Amino acid sequence: MVSLLRTLRSIRRVGLKEWYRQMWYIGDAKSGRLVGTDSFGNRYYENLNAEEEVPGRHRWVDLAQHDYNATQVPPEWHSWLHNIRLLAPPEDPKMLEARPKWIGTHIENLTGTRGAYRPYNTAAPKMWAWEPKVAPRQSSSQTQ
Amino acid sequence: MRSVPLPTLAQQGSNALSLQTPNNKAEYVLSTLDKITNWARQGSMWPMTFGLACCAVEMMHMAAARYDQDRLGVVFRASPRQSDIMIVAGTLTNKMAPALRKVYDQMPEPRWVISMGSCANGGGYYHYSYSVVRGCDRIVPVDIYVPGCPPTAEALLYGMLQLQRKMRRYRNTVLWYRK
Repeated sequence: MVSLLRTLRSIRRVGLKEWYRQMWYIGDAKSGRLVGTDSFGNRYYENLNAEEEVPGRHRWVDLAQHDYNATQVPPEWHSWLHNIRLLAPPEDPKMLEARPKWIGTHIENLTGTRGAYRPYNTAAPKMWAWEPKVAPRQSSSQTQ
Repeated sequence: MRSVPLPTLAQQGSNALSLQTPNNKAEYVLSTLDKITNWARQGSMWPMTFGLACCAVEMMHMAAARYDQDRLGVVFRASPRQSDIMIVAGTLTNKMAPALRKVYDQMPEPRWVISMGSCANGGGYYHYSYSVVRGCDRIVPVDIYVPGCPPTAEALLYGMLQLQRKMRRYRNTVLWYRK
């Protein structure tokens, strides 16, 4: 619940500088347990106290980039953030043992940059645009 | 931990980055003005609803309480003369295509188009039908393609955020100055 008391409590816990950052990027004064940090520097928090955070807002991410975007969250943290998994990746034994080595690093949505995804097709096209061709006009000497 | 963010890495040496980096004081002032314009535009995106099929239901979900487009300043307008964005939601048939173009022509500049769903993107399920336009980009220029059949309200909202990102890249007066 948003209240003056909660805001002041959060400011006391996280400090003025962190609160300033939160107001820029999250828009709310939040405080909780730092569950972990991913390889991109995004920080993940949790607060299970229902009087401080409304259930549903109890897990949140502080994204590292200024131009933030939901795809900057890697998939294993996404599953924690959206309550698909109970335990966070660094605490979850299944997550720690199950990640194969061949999985590459997470790439965020690069639309609008040079790294944007461009689909291509290797099959021969089945359809063509209409290309009008003008038949040459017959000479007038033949018709007369 | 990666020190340089991936989008920054991907933009190195591009024309877009050159446009965003001011070279002198005049460009610095003009790019600041551009940023203010972009901020104003992205804060009040008024879409023209062009709900044609089931995608329109998801578009309504985006407007409703859970995804709540109003918090982004996105308000549906019924008139094309008062809107900035057209969301083409659904199958565009041959019969509807002239109406779509007419509505697009009635919208004031600057205007953007979001193509929502696989039918609007490229015909989708009805690609081989005799009466369907194979993608609304044959009729109007499209800015954002939202994939899905239908896309979730979340996906459409993410598309709106991507359009905001596109708006933030605009540098109209800098472009005018460099010419």
